[in-house]
Formats: sequence, structure tokens, C-alpha cells
Amino acid sequence: MTPIVRISNLDKYFGRLHVLKNVSAEVQPQEVVCLIGRSGSGKSTLLRCINFLEEPSAGTIEVDGLAVPAGVRGKAHNQMVHNIRIRTGMVFQEFNLFPHLSVIENIVEAPVTVKKLPKEQAIEIGEKFLSKVGLTHKRDEYPNRLSGGQKQRVAIARALTMEPKVMLFDEPTSALDPELTGEVLDVMKKLAAEGTTMLVVTHEMGFAREVCSRVLYMEEGELIEEGPPETMFTTPVDARTRQFLDRVL
Amino acid sequence: MAVTSTPPATSARPKSQAQLIYEQYQRSQRQFTLGVAASWGLLLVLLFFLFSGVQFSLGPLAIRTIRLDGEFMRTWLPDISRGIWQTIQISALSILFATLMALLAALGRLSRVAPIYALSTFYVSLIRGTPLYLQVIFFFLALPQLGIILPGLWAGVLALGLNYGAYMSEIFRAGILSVSKGQREAAIALGMTPGQTMRRIILPQALRFAIPPTGNEFIAMLKDSALVSATGFVQEIMWRAVHAGRANFRNLEALLIAAAFYWVMTLLFTGVQGQLERYMARGDR
Repeated sequence: MTPIVRISNLDKYFGRLHVLKNVSAEVQPQEVVCLIGRSGSGKSTLLRCINFLEEPSAGTIEVDGLAVPAGVRGKAHNQMVHNIRIRTGMVFQEFNLFPHLSVIENIVEAPVTVKKLPKEQAIEIGEKFLSKVGLTHKRDEYPNRLSGGQKQRVAIARALTMEPKVMLFDEPTSALDPELTGEVLDVMKKLAAEGTTMLVVTHEMGFAREVCSRVLYMEEGELIEEGPPETMFTTPVDARTRQFLDRVL
Repeated sequence: MAVTSTPPATSARPKSQAQLIYEQYQRSQRQFTLGVAASWGLLLVLLFFLFSGVQFSLGPLAIRTIRLDGEFMRTWLPDISRGIWQTIQISALSILFATLMALLAALGRLSRVAPIYALSTFYVSLIRGTPLYLQVIFFFLALPQLGIILPGLWAGVLALGLNYGAYMSEIFRAGILSVSKGQREAAIALGMTPGQTMRRIILPQALRFAIPPTGNEFIAMLKDSALVSATGFVQEIMWRAVHAGRANFRNLEALLIAAAFYWVMTLLFTGVQGQLERYMARGDR
């Protein structure tokens, strides 16, 4: 089976700072992979390299069979990056909804301008995903009238409406009040149960344990260890993983 | 002072401390506003008195105020007032042109393409490095030497628009930079091109930010449009005032009329501007 995401020998420098060190990883279809580690371990950077929000310094990113090597410039490269971006949905820590557009306008913006879908069709798909995140009644509200949890659920619906091959979540609950994380995690659980391929950077160990099919542990830009949650959380092999899990569990 | 649960709707209910403090605050606010209004009125009366032409003696003190030619003012007021429309017209057209130039210059300034960035900074530097008065005269007097003769109004709009555009580019640049990085990232992650991201996501938010300061620029433009009178081709307020004053040797009267028109226009548009700002701010809540 070809993986949906394949990261090969990825390196990333911010100036002289070496933030990703020869990272290789894969996400198989319908897998839910959680990326855990301390703040500053490089897990968000790794996620952002997949859709080239950060340009990797070396290595290759492959999404849905399209391989894009790092360190290339030019029109052909931009086109390939574009092809990767329309195959990946991204959910940000800070939601990043467009404040000048209503909920439904936020959702159909990219399908209409990027995929050139007719507006009616985009709205139809958008409404389907809006109901999936349980916010049909907020269809015509503006983002500043929504709670943090609602905003994040709209952001998830917005990403899903592009019908991506993989959903990337960058600490989706870290900016939320504790009592609002549940509604977002519930939506993510539902997506996982339906077979959505997901790569999730998270500090929610409960979620990782319950929902993920595989957990990756990163430290100082390196992938230290990976495995199914039941073994990772109970009998981690590497001492560094053990030390981290002892602190957070 | 603790307020316990008194039954509602009793008229003699004691006021809470918070309420008393709030009322005290409101009273002092009202007093201040009233004081300012009264002082403004007094200053206005003084100003009118200064030009009233009244003469009298207070004991040893002989008081003489400035005497204006009322006949002249009555005759020429309608003529000068006909310049109001020209002033508003040239200001509005110039601010429209300036907005376009400012937007282009701001986008150029944010570009990573060297020639575009250079063009933008070159334009802004050239315009900000030379006097507005020179630029206005240039378009009327220097261009005809090159065989380019523009209608008076358009030469004025070109000069004022280019000048204000250079200054206003900073407003638009700030507006674009005020849109958070996350907005750009979200759009790009959805597959939008840089152009689509700018047009559909960044600019609509940046323009909202830029509208109130642009209103202020319009008010400044109302007054700077007077410079166009120096060329003698646009019969706006200032030109008419200078013209009438010189011909009749009544410069004082003519300029006072023009000043009054400018002042009233500024006050009116400042009021409109305040409403606009309140309206724009309301959307953020």
C-alpha cells in the first residue's frame, strides 16, 4: 500500500538552527498518527513542512504519490507544491478563520476560487461538513460571534470541504479553554472513526492514547521512537521517550 | 455600603456605592463638556467682535476693532461660495487617484521582486523629497513646455493625487501588515495562490483598516487643494477669494470668507469622519 504521506530524510534549518534532523516518516491511508514531544522539539515544523508552509532545507515530501524534493525553486516546483496543498487539509492552533467572511463563506472560499467548483456545489459540500461538525445553525454567523471551540470546528469543516487526502492538525486544542477542548476532540474522533487519514501534533495524551493508530515521539528535531499507543505509553523503549511520558502522563 | 435584597420597584431604594460613584463621574463629565462648549462659544464671540468694527472707549482705554467692508462681503460671498463645489470635486477626485497610487505603492513596497520594490520606493522618495507646491506648479507650468497640456482640473488632480498617494502608501502598507500571518498561511494551506490570497483575504481586511485614516487624508486634501489656485486654472474657493480680493483691494475680507468656508467644511467632514470611525469600530465587537 502506498502511503498518503511519506517524509524522507527531511532536514530543516532556521538560519543556523538545525530544527529537523534527517526525519523520515510515513502515514498510511486511514491511519491516525499523533506527533508528540516537548515544545520546540520540531513537531509543528515537521507538520508545516508537509504542505510547504515551511520550505524544507533537504529531503523529500511525498503526498498521495506526488514527490517534491526540497531546495528547488521555479514555476514547476510551485505547481507541485500547489498540488500537494490541495491534497492536504490543515487545522491551525489559532483557527485562522477569515474574519471578514461568514462561516459558510469561509468554507466555500477555497473550493470556489481554487478548485473552481460552482458555488452551489461548493455550498452543498460545505453544508455537509458543517453539519458533520455540528454547526449548521451557525452557517451565516461571522467568526467573531463564535466560541473558540466553534471556530476550530468551522476551521475543520473548511479544510474538509476541499476533500483532502490527509488532514494535518497543528495543536488544534492548545488555544482553547479547557472546557472547550472536548467538542473539538469529539469531532476529530468522529473523523478518525470514519477513516479520515490524519496527522496530529498534540499535547492531548488522552486523545493520542484513545484515537491514534500510531504515535511518533520527537525530541530536538529527531524522531526518537514510534509505535502503537498501547506499547508507546506503557513500555517505551528509548529512555528519552520514557522520561517525557513520565512527566506528562 | 452594603445593599441587601430590597424588594424591587420601591422608589426610595437606596443607591449603591457603585451607582453613586458612576453618577459623580457622569456629573463631572457633563460639567467638562459644558465648560468646553461655553468656552468655544465665548471664543467665537470674541473672534466676531474682533472683526465687528465696533469702536468705544472704556475710560482712558479706546477700543477699536477691525472694520470689514460689509458691502464687498455681501456682493462677493455668493461668487466665492461657488468655489466650494470645485474644491470638493478636486479633493474627491484627487483622493480617489491617491488611494489607487497608495495601494499600488504599498503592494510594490511589499514585493520581493527587486524592480517593483525599487519603483515603489523611488516614487515615494521622489514625491516626499520635493515640495507639494513645486509639484502642483510643475504640472501646470513645466509640462506645457514639453508639449503636454492638461486641462486645469486634471493637472491639479494628478499633482495632488501623486503627492497624497506617496504619503498614503504607508497607511495601506500598515493595513496590509496589520493582517495576521495566520490569515496568509490559512489561505495558502487551502491552495490559494499569492494573488488570490492578497485579493480575497488580505486586502479586504487591510482596506477596512485603512478607511478611517483615508478619511483624515481627505480632510487634509480639502485644504491642500487651495494650492491649485496658484496656477489660475481651477476656480475653487481659494482662487475665487484671491481673485476677488485683489481686484477690489479687499484681500482681508475675501480671505476671511474663504477661511470660513474651509473651516466649516472641515468641521462638517470631521463629523462625518467620526461617525464613520464609530461605525467601522462597531464591526469589531
